[in-house]
Amino acid sequence: MSLEDPGPRDVGLTKTGDVNYDELESLLGDDVLGREEHLNAEAFVIRPDAVQDVLSTLKTDAGFDNCNCVTAQEYQDRYETIYHLTKYDDRTQEVGVVVPTSKDNPVSESAEPVFRTADWHEREAYDLVGIEYEGHPDPRRILLPETWQGHPLSMDYDQTKPQVVTLRENKNPLEEDQRLNDDSDTMLLNIGPHHPATHGVLHVEATLDGEQVADVEPDIGYIHRCEEQMCQQGTYRHQIMPYPDRWDWGGAGLLNEWAYARTAETLADIDVPEYAQVIRTMSGELSRILSHMLAVAAYALDVVGDFTATFMYGMQDREVVQNILEDLTGQRLMFNYFRLGGVAWDLPEPRGEFFEQIRAFIDDLPEKLEEYHNLLTSNEILQIRTVDTGRLEPEIAKSYGATGPVARGSGIDYDIRRDDPYGYYDKLDWNVVTEDGCDNYARLLVRLQEVEESAKIINQCVDLLEGWPEEDRTIQANVPRTIKPEPDTEVYKSVEAAKGELGIYIRSDGTDTPARFKIRGGSFSNLQTLPEMAEGEYIADLIASLGSLDTIMGEVDR
Amino acid sequence: MTLSDTIAGLLGLNANDPLQFGIAAIIASTIVGTFMLVNVAIAGPWAKRKITATFTDRIAVNRIGPFGLMIIVADAVRLLSKELIVPEKVDRPAWDLAPLVIAGSALFGFAVIPMGSGIQVADPEVGLAYVFAVASLASVGLVMAGYASNNKYSMLGGLRAVAQNLAYEIPLVLTGVSVVLFAGTLQLGNVNAANTIVGAQQATLATVGGIEIPSWYAFVNPFAFMLFLVANLAEVGRNPFDTPEAPTEIVAGYQTEYSSVYFVLMYLGEFIHIFLGGAIIATIFLGGPAGPVLPGIVWFLVKIWAVFLLTQWARSALPRVRIDQLIEIGWKGMLVLSFANLILTAIIVGVVV
Repeated sequence: MSLEDPGPRDVGLTKTGDVNYDELESLLGDDVLGREEHLNAEAFVIRPDAVQDVLSTLKTDAGFDNCNCVTAQEYQDRYETIYHLTKYDDRTQEVGVVVPTSKDNPVSESAEPVFRTADWHEREAYDLVGIEYEGHPDPRRILLPETWQGHPLSMDYDQTKPQVVTLRENKNPLEEDQRLNDDSDTMLLNIGPHHPATHGVLHVEATLDGEQVADVEPDIGYIHRCEEQMCQQGTYRHQIMPYPDRWDWGGAGLLNEWAYARTAETLADIDVPEYAQVIRTMSGELSRILSHMLAVAAYALDVVGDFTATFMYGMQDREVVQNILEDLTGQRLMFNYFRLGGVAWDLPEPRGEFFEQIRAFIDDLPEKLEEYHNLLTSNEILQIRTVDTGRLEPEIAKSYGATGPVARGSGIDYDIRRDDPYGYYDKLDWNVVTEDGCDNYARLLVRLQEVEESAKIINQCVDLLEGWPEEDRTIQANVPRTIKPEPDTEVYKSVEAAKGELGIYIRSDGTDTPARFKIRGGSFSNLQTLPEMAEGEYIADLIASLGSLDTIMGEVDR
Repeated sequence: MTLSDTIAGLLGLNANDPLQFGIAAIIASTIVGTFMLVNVAIAGPWAKRKITATFTDRIAVNRIGPFGLMIIVADAVRLLSKELIVPEKVDRPAWDLAPLVIAGSALFGFAVIPMGSGIQVADPEVGLAYVFAVASLASVGLVMAGYASNNKYSMLGGLRAVAQNLAYEIPLVLTGVSVVLFAGTLQLGNVNAANTIVGAQQATLATVGGIEIPSWYAFVNPFAFMLFLVANLAEVGRNPFDTPEAPTEIVAGYQTEYSSVYFVLMYLGEFIHIFLGGAIIATIFLGGPAGPVLPGIVWFLVKIWAVFLLTQWARSALPRVRIDQLIEIGWKGMLVLSFANLILTAIIVGVVV
């Protein structure tokens, strides 16, 4: 970015390359009602009937092409929808768009025509909070059953009232046989919620024309566990940290913990000691390897078949990492190792043995990865199955807010570890992996290569930790026993989790628990792209595409 | 001398009286059928698990009996004692008949297979045609299962199975025909009977370093052998051609709705089919039950188990192709190649021999 000569894409930027909010405000003109100060960025309060105007202006003129998250919440006097915008080119440039609506008529304009990703986010906002969106193409509930009464995160919701969702009231999934019209030869096929390839309780309603997929609709919410609400009932200091582990049981728990740690540390202004940052970075990357190995192994199940050797190889190689993390955190799945301001405890003694264990794994890794490449990526049958199937063009991926390996498989050079650095990543030498294939094959390749990059990071962390002076090993900052941020402080922060960008929005109300806790699961946005990839292809490709997204229903349904 | 003749002789039955010879033939069939079912019983609950486990670095069944072998009994009891769930609106009796057709059709094929050591129920002049005919009957069973189950996954699996079998049956038979061209007969015969398919393979093809290499058709025409192996993988529905079942795509295809004893029959049918495929390969390409030192029946077992091992190997290592790719390989690739092979064979037989 040139400093002297701002080009057309640099509208709304200061000369140093920061966001110039004043210029943005004048760009938006009368639509802006006011300004708000969030900890991560400034936000414009806009008229509820100008959402599309504002967002498309910010998108096309100022380059905010990433609608990262949509948070809905209810105040005493109003409802509010916040669109957290950022740029795929520069993650540090953020702007919030706050859309207040009145209590008696909570309707605002839908952002769906500008950002496709708003489709699901707004459905969720309607489902949980009760805000309606004018012009939304499909204004239904998304997480809760159609027959649910009330909106659980709204203020007048009676949590003690039993909700009876009888079988009779539920839509019979077997009833409707044909979708498009009665003369057509299409067939509705329910894939899931219990199906070998949905990797959890996902229900995909597929309309088939022979073996070809005419229409796909993912139906989510089967394991909705009120995670946001549970987090709102926990205290910042200790009670929230165990939850993020439960949004990803594929091994990426530590990365999820980091998302909460980062957000809460920004909120409470806590500085993490460097030593703890290095431990976080190392353990986080081990966690990523766990997740990616599982993704690759499970992908072999989807594409190769259910007696594939690759799956077991993947599980075995994971086991080594699993043992390392068990030694470090004491847990194999729900690690709960991070604390606000650092980590729970220091590396296990004897340290030398622990480092040896990690080194041995890193040393063996290239040979093991070679085996995956032999079995999978260089196999011709796998190539004819995955190359050029499940195509996700970069522009479409951006519109859906796709992140993580899904975005990088579509050639989008976007990785928060580098673009909005945290932890120790900016001081280490590693690369962001991108592939231009935009297909199932590219996503597989990205994951395999990211394992290599993670290993590189871990290796450097081990070097650092080995030489770390003993008197300097502070594992936690001095954090007050009770954290009570100023009332109405708002913050949205995210990290690069294994499946994609995991963002958390917190609004405080002066107590030691959050007033609003919103989770942006990477899989939520990634899964939304499935129809774009699968429609017009074969059932087998639908399954392959679904597998290549590597969604985990824990962070989709929350 | 078939097994039926031997039994008739042993029991003092008159081989010229159809009724008496029928009794001998039934006894012979019972022996052969039971023998093959014992093979399947070892293959299904035990060997398959052990083989797959070896490929995937696991241990597999090892708790009951020596090498976990008693799992065969335990599994048989377990499977048979399970509840037989009959879904609503299944099309009976087609739904009930399908497992029988699938398991039975493959078993019929063994009637004419020479297993060595004089074990062969019958040796008709149209032996090879008969084997192909009864083996293809399984397709009828697959359609019945797929259609009668009243389940969309079953339906898809049934349709895939038929499409696949059509695409591979023709190359399979055409490649088999090239052997017929060589032998000049459809009769499978046995090691000692010249002018039969097996008998013709016993001649010496060449002598390398004092070792006589028999003129097995796998050596005479390796191209046909490879074609047949691939077509056979598709025929029995194993990776990379297991699309009709494709558990991660269409749950279990045509066998989705079958439980308990019907499930056992379905599985049994699949395994007998694999062994029948192995038996055909052994008979028409690998010299039948012939081999040095050991008795014929042992060589026969070695050959069919080798083919079984190959299917398990493919299953552990090879990705599955998509249904449209599979059909394409069948009609555009295999069919063309098998015709080429047929013409090539005709030229060789006409010109050289």
